Amino acid sequence: MSRENLIARPEVVSRQGVPAPRPAWIERTTSGDHKQVSLLYIGTALSFLALAAVEFMLIRLQLIVPENTMINPEIFDQLVSVAPVSLVVLGLIPLALGLIGFIVPLQIGSRGVALPRLNQFSYWLYLAGAVTLYASFLYQAPDTGTTALPPLSDTVFSPTNGADAWIVGTALAISGFVCFAINLVATLTRMRAPGVAWRRLPLFSWAATVIGYLLLVLGPVMIAALVMLEIDRRFDGVFFDPGDGGAPLLYEHFSNLFFTGTYLIVLLAAAGAISEILPTFARKPIFSHRAVAGSFVAIGLIGPLAWMQSMYEAPLAEGLTIIAMGFALALAVPIGVLVFTWIATIWEGALELRAPSLYALVAISTMVFGLAGELAYSVIPVGWALDNTTASQADTLYVLVGAGVIGGFAALHYWFPKLCGRLLGEGIGKAALGLMLVGIHLYAIPMIFAGLDGQAVNVFEYFDDSGLDGYNLVASFGAFILALGILLELGNTAYSWNNGLSARGHDPWGGSTLEWYALSPPPPHNFDAVPDVRSSEPLRDIREAVVRNAEAFVAPTGLERIEAPAADPEPVAASDAGDRAPGSDPDDPGNAPVA
Amino acid sequence: MSRRKILFVSAVALLALAVGASPAHAIELAPPEPHSPNAEGIRSAYWVAMVTAVILVFAIHAALIAAVVRYRERRGREPRRVAAGRGALRPVVGALSALALVLFVYGVFQTAEVREVEAAGPDGLGSTQSAQVGVRGSIAAAAGGLDSATGETPLDDSEATQTSPLLIDAIAQQWVWRFEYPGGRPGQRTFTYGELVVPVDTPVILDVTSTDVLHTWWVPALGGQVQAAPGDVSQTWFKADEVGRYEGRSTIFSGTGTPVMRSWVKVVSVPEYQDYIEQLNLDLEEAQGAVAENQEEQQTSGAAAAAEGGS
Repeated sequence: MSRENLIARPEVVSRQGVPAPRPAWIERTTSGDHKQVSLLYIGTALSFLALAAVEFMLIRLQLIVPENTMINPEIFDQLVSVAPVSLVVLGLIPLALGLIGFIVPLQIGSRGVALPRLNQFSYWLYLAGAVTLYASFLYQAPDTGTTALPPLSDTVFSPTNGADAWIVGTALAISGFVCFAINLVATLTRMRAPGVAWRRLPLFSWAATVIGYLLLVLGPVMIAALVMLEIDRRFDGVFFDPGDGGAPLLYEHFSNLFFTGTYLIVLLAAAGAISEILPTFARKPIFSHRAVAGSFVAIGLIGPLAWMQSMYEAPLAEGLTIIAMGFALALAVPIGVLVFTWIATIWEGALELRAPSLYALVAISTMVFGLAGELAYSVIPVGWALDNTTASQADTLYVLVGAGVIGGFAALHYWFPKLCGRLLGEGIGKAALGLMLVGIHLYAIPMIFAGLDGQAVNVFEYFDDSGLDGYNLVASFGAFILALGILLELGNTAYSWNNGLSARGHDPWGGSTLEWYALSPPPPHNFDAVPDVRSSEPLRDIREAVVRNAEAFVAPTGLERIEAPAADPEPVAASDAGDRAPGSDPDDPGNAPVA
Repeated sequence: MSRRKILFVSAVALLALAVGASPAHAIELAPPEPHSPNAEGIRSAYWVAMVTAVILVFAIHAALIAAVVRYRERRGREPRRVAAGRGALRPVVGALSALALVLFVYGVFQTAEVREVEAAGPDGLGSTQSAQVGVRGSIAAAAGGLDSATGETPLDDSEATQTSPLLIDAIAQQWVWRFEYPGGRPGQRTFTYGELVVPVDTPVILDVTSTDVLHTWWVPALGGQVQAAPGDVSQTWFKADEVGRYEGRSTIFSGTGTPVMRSWVKVVSVPEYQDYIEQLNLDLEEAQGAVAENQEEQQTSGAAAAAEGGS
């Protein structure tokens, strides 16, 4: 090998026989591109959200009057077994993961993800889990309750295969999420662009980091618990069988740990999105980047340790419940700091009330109802009275709907232009938001009163003499309005995907994080070049540099033939130019004319 | 402006509807009226916690609405790019920590108070010592009564019917409760299904367990929930202050029969209770006598039939 060969030189490659483009659906389903995988995640998650909304409507339809016989108990039990898992495991978590998978690599200025095939595999595991769960309706649907607590989920009491489908389906979906989390954490730790230090990491990516670690730690716990349960059922295991020295309480611990984690994941994803939306629309940086990121980490650390907060009535040693109460109450600190920071971010800003910011505000409001209630239930004697009642369910739904659904739609409204280059219809979006706002309160407030009066969750009827009929009637109508709002917004999303208004430029909201630097929708490699990141608001820096240079520019006199550039392209030139469509937003720094 | 007013009015109307559609007796927004000291403790904890939560919700909403109304985008408004300096959030963290700490300390004390079993009142059965419930025991530990767990001296069975606290086993199964009363013949305890009969003003300690799946014991007027788990014994107690019949229900999903997993506590005067238990014992003996006779008859007739068949 001669010395000359070692000298780097530009390489020109010609490919003989470039393969013919395959059909779009094959491209989409086999692509390792994180954006394609994430769109699959989002689409599937929204479908299951619609399904869960319909299932919850059916549940409320049965409970609209006392001693109703509309839906028979067997079908009702199947609904209460699949509806919550559809909402949380098949709906809200993958929706959050889809948005994270799409946005986070863009936010950190990465051209892709660390483990694209694992990322893709995670989606197929999730889909396989969902199909396994719902395929059971073809033979025998699961009927073992919200979290399949043994001994009820053991073969003695649930001999049919439905329970197996629930266990395997849920375990597959969660395995998918764990794979996703591995890729997410690897991407976030290894693939940040130069300058994207942790202290400058956008807050949605901070939330994603905490979510990734939460899934890595808690996902395997639930998978293990489900495997143990399946061994109990089909291979004579005795993990949770009290007759043979097992402990059903153990499964309760595992499932509570995981589902507390899912609750926190939904909460964190929404909090991350809100922490991006409010500064953008108030045109003001977040009040304290450190405090928000610190709160996310604190929620991730403290939250799971409070898993026994919903088990006060279980046969636990007294000390354990006291510890759980301590952690649950301690959560008030980071959550309170978050809410304070959001309000302080709006303060002295100029908040533009568009669909994303309205959704974000309503999400905060709805979450606050649920989180304050959660604070109350954390005090042990209150938990003794209200666990497992419709009051605690209404409270959980306040947070899941507030953070997961309304917060999820806030994020979707905000990033929709990035996903497909179009705006998510604002008029219908606002109408749907109004329906959701009315619906959730109309549903939850009567349910809290009914829970105080002793209505239990997941029972297919209540009795005439219980005095619960007024509450349930109003709550059912509230639930219908809520579900209607959700379905309307889902329809809006589906419609806007192909027919929405074109977004103005690539940065319609004037965001300051790196994802707005990419095209909408971004090309497969995301960025041709990544700008220097020197703060947590890189795009704002570029805009300022453009303005500054334009102001500083003094047109030379006497040289008429030379046209003055509108702006010095210096801060942009290092990066950009080629990947911009001409003629789009003039405010967009990327479109500064190139000399 | 008028549109906003309409929105506001309709929101208030909807909230009023949500509250107002409820039956009049329940407007109180609290757990049902307590008839036992532990239920009273739960209710006061509920008030403290709920008032805290409501104040938080209102304060946050007031701040949020004020911020949005005052600092929404208007012509000519320029945002001030202020951000927190180091330590600016310390007062917030301090206030929130203080709130959490106060609630925690209150919760610890209130929990201990609710668990504390009171001695019998003047109208109650017997009147001896107080105790504490809530200590968990496995089936094996509880075989000798709750006492191995609490460290008290076990009560003699014959004495147990006459003294308080009354120790009653509440055993759940799909979908009925079985209550085993103290006393009765050795190895053959007095029991009832569905309805628990107890004397007024007398502390009753329940050892709650299950023979099949998870259930919960919960009579809202007489205290909080306790999980009935197979293989575990949980304890709760109550001291009913008034004669009456109180309804309870299981709150955990236990299969298709969950809604009928209800329980009733009938509180009667002490003499009535004693008569009732005596009558139960007599009935039980009678029934057992009848069963024994029946069995004998069957055995003899069976033997006869066998003899016939054999011949």
